[in-house]
Amino acid sequence: MERRKLESAALFLSLLGVLLILPPIAVVFQLQRRFLGLPLEVIYLFVCWLGLIGAALWLGRRLPREAEAEPPDEGES
Amino acid sequence: MLTPDVVIAVAIGYVGLLFLIAYVSDRQARNDKAAFLRSPFIYTLAISVYCTSWTFYGAVGSAARNGLEYLAIYLGPTLVFIGWWFVLRRLVRISHKQRITSIADLLSARFGKSSRLAVLITVIAVIGIAPYIALQLKAVTSSLQAIAGVGEFPGRTLRGIDEVGLALAVAAGMALFTILFGTRNVDAKEQHHGVVAAIAFEAIVKLAALLAIGIFVIYAGGGLEAIFSRAEAAGIDIYSTGNFDDRWVAMNVLSAAAILCLPRQFQITVVENSNENHLRTAGWAFPAYLLLMSLFTLPIALFGLTSMPAGANPDMFVLTLPLSAGQEGLALFSFIGGFSSATSMIIVESIALSIMVSNHIVMPIVLRVTQGHGVASARGVSRLLLNSRRFSIALILLLGFLYFYLTRDSDALAPIGLISFCGVAQFLPAIIAALFWREASLKAATAAVAVGFVVWAWSSFMPSFQSSSPLVAEIMANGPWGIAWLRPEALFGVEGIDPLVNVVFWSLFLNTTTLIVVSLLSSQSALERVQAALFADLFRRSSAATPAVIRGSATIEDLYFVAERVLGSPRAKALFEGVTDMPPPQFIDRLERELAGSIGAASAHVMLSKVVSGDAVSLEEVFEMAGETRQVIAYSQELERTSAELRSTAQKLEEANTQLRAIDTEKDEFLSQVSHEVRTPMTSIRSFSEILLEEQRLTADERQRFVKTIHQESLRLTKLLDDILGMSALDRGERGWDNAPIDAEHSIDRAIEVCSALAQQRRMQLSVGGRAPRAMISGEPDRLCQVLINLISNAIKYNDAAEPMVEVRSRAGRGRYLIEVADNGPGIPKAERKLIFEKFARGQSGGVTAPAGAGLGLAISRQLIERMNGKLELLPGTGPGACFRITLPLL
Repeated sequence: MERRKLESAALFLSLLGVLLILPPIAVVFQLQRRFLGLPLEVIYLFVCWLGLIGAALWLGRRLPREAEAEPPDEGES
Repeated sequence: MLTPDVVIAVAIGYVGLLFLIAYVSDRQARNDKAAFLRSPFIYTLAISVYCTSWTFYGAVGSAARNGLEYLAIYLGPTLVFIGWWFVLRRLVRISHKQRITSIADLLSARFGKSSRLAVLITVIAVIGIAPYIALQLKAVTSSLQAIAGVGEFPGRTLRGIDEVGLALAVAAGMALFTILFGTRNVDAKEQHHGVVAAIAFEAIVKLAALLAIGIFVIYAGGGLEAIFSRAEAAGIDIYSTGNFDDRWVAMNVLSAAAILCLPRQFQITVVENSNENHLRTAGWAFPAYLLLMSLFTLPIALFGLTSMPAGANPDMFVLTLPLSAGQEGLALFSFIGGFSSATSMIIVESIALSIMVSNHIVMPIVLRVTQGHGVASARGVSRLLLNSRRFSIALILLLGFLYFYLTRDSDALAPIGLISFCGVAQFLPAIIAALFWREASLKAATAAVAVGFVVWAWSSFMPSFQSSSPLVAEIMANGPWGIAWLRPEALFGVEGIDPLVNVVFWSLFLNTTTLIVVSLLSSQSALERVQAALFADLFRRSSAATPAVIRGSATIEDLYFVAERVLGSPRAKALFEGVTDMPPPQFIDRLERELAGSIGAASAHVMLSKVVSGDAVSLEEVFEMAGETRQVIAYSQELERTSAELRSTAQKLEEANTQLRAIDTEKDEFLSQVSHEVRTPMTSIRSFSEILLEEQRLTADERQRFVKTIHQESLRLTKLLDDILGMSALDRGERGWDNAPIDAEHSIDRAIEVCSALAQQRRMQLSVGGRAPRAMISGEPDRLCQVLINLISNAIKYNDAAEPMVEVRSRAGRGRYLIEVADNGPGIPKAERKLIFEKFARGQSGGVTAPAGAGLGLAISRQLIERMNGKLELLPGTGPGACFRITLPLL
């Protein structure tokens, strides 16, 4: 993936992570049901967590390094 | 049997091990051998100082009381680290560039190097962290009681010491330990390799201990499913019904803020970072560490709730569960894990806070009181810094202990930690604005942080004293002076809201609103604008331009004096190496950043401003004039540079012009000279030929004499014209010849032969000095001879000494061949030395009344010699006479 797309992906990942662990999405998994012996929402949170870690690992290896980092066109907020 | 003696001995032994690790690592780091110390994994492990006894003990307690809620404390930081590219990377980059040493330093640097803001941030941090320190003291005290006094637990004695006494002893021990550990030296970058190594080691210990307990619990409880089923059967709600509510959101926000704003996290993540790319690893590895730390929390809590007697403190389940199963070794390991969590937190937190206190409170006061001249000895400032840090560490632990003492009746650990989180979270809006919003002003940041702090102090900090102060309890119930809408936990009359949500929302809402509104209404100072642009354009511009330069007239000695006092002699020497006379502005800027590394940006700025006289005003003025933004300043610097270049060019032009004018005058004089020279022979030729034509009665003798004169005069005329023609031809690059290998000595012989007649005529001595035996050069023999004749005849003609003499000598060596023509005549005055090689120039004050040449000789000679790749010069002699030297490369 090219640089800009990687950065967009990183931003998306962070925002997605925020949305996943907050209501209303998190509430979807509060089903009073157990999976593999554990409450579903516990499984859900840990799976999300693992997914975020995996994605961050993948992105961390691909985002441009210090040397090749050129000034990104981030807008100032 | 675990006696108090055994436990305390193990704890002390463990502390000794930490010392050893820190000591060895420091030595390795100093010898540049410790590559592993700078690995991203050590860095990540050190960041795990986030997991304190709150995590180790409190998370289980929190899970036992509130289910999944404890996870929010780890999910917030996870999200911040997943998004490291956007916030943490900026934070690390700017802090490296600006040599930021703490969070107070960061905000102070961004908002115009304001020392007041730094003081405010420091004070808030110290107060805000007190509950957190208290939490650690409480955890260590409780764990000591739990493990060493099982029989008496929850009794109040441990070898006759009550809880408060034990906590005081723990606090004192921790203070001593941290002072010995963290304030051995003042480093320019505030990096503590030894401490980081020890913290990383502790991170491994606490993770291993918690995982061991987790595995033990799974084993003892018969598997995960069995633990959950048993809990469900015991009537515990294993489903986190209603858990994802506003409190969940608030805790996520708080923990995300805390991972950025906690002084110790800033210290480890930003200040101790040795390579920006380490964030790449930490971005996933730290969340992974947090996941592992929280993996077994819920099972441990549920197993504890079902297997321990009712009323057992769930915060101590990780200790009491293995103890009740008779697993003393595991319990001891668990105790060490919890002890690790507490010590690492206290060490880093108090180092970070002590740096803030000494840099932003003690140093400015000392500078102000002493006018920057009070600390006279070379190591004065270093020692002062260290002492003030030691004092701050003691103070911070004392405050923690006081908080513990005043709130000792509250039971759970987690709520205490949340108070601290909420306190430091008040920095978040200012930090985010510092990194991303250029318009945020100092006034706004100060007001925003202050407002947030007041709301926090009122609604979160004060209520924790409810149990020890009837006044606080009264305010909590009815509001101050009966004003109900000011009740701390129901601000603005919003009832039925969770107290944590209440304070998080109102404090951050008012904080952020103040920041934005005041920024929009106020204006920034010049220095603020400069720093704001520097922060905002972090990735946009090269680091070369650093505009916040102090201009002034400090001498290098003054600056060195300051640097030596702060940085110590060796570092100052290294820094000043190669700097002579007037230090350039870039150097002062660099020095300021180096000093900032030791004493903070604001103090360094004040200190240098005092040294560089009258700076405070001129700096402002310069920036004011330079205009609105940093681009304009950079542009003006560019202009300044260009105009300096222009000035020097103009000066060169002026010099050249002066020379040209001098030559021009010479030329005018020469032209009149030429006309005169031409007129004289022409006149005599004309008159003599007229006589010859008209006068018939001339003797043959006379006729002969007149014709001879005419001949001589026309020869003279021809020579003059030849010279002028030759000169201009040379000038146009014509009349070339091919250099060939020749023996220059032959040319000298010929020249001497030709000139000896002239010398005899003048009755002067033409002596030949030392001669080179044979000198092969590349040239043209006739031209070389011509040059030599010119030089020798000049020396003869202009010599008015009583016993005139001319000496010709030559020598060869080191690839060069030298011919010198020296005389004892009047010499050439200094003013004319440059001119004599110019065309049309001739000695003016040579003391010779009748100039005989046309003033072209030397100019032609020089050009001829240059054609032979040599040079002709006048030696800058002092004695009588002049000495010309021809230098030619030997073949």
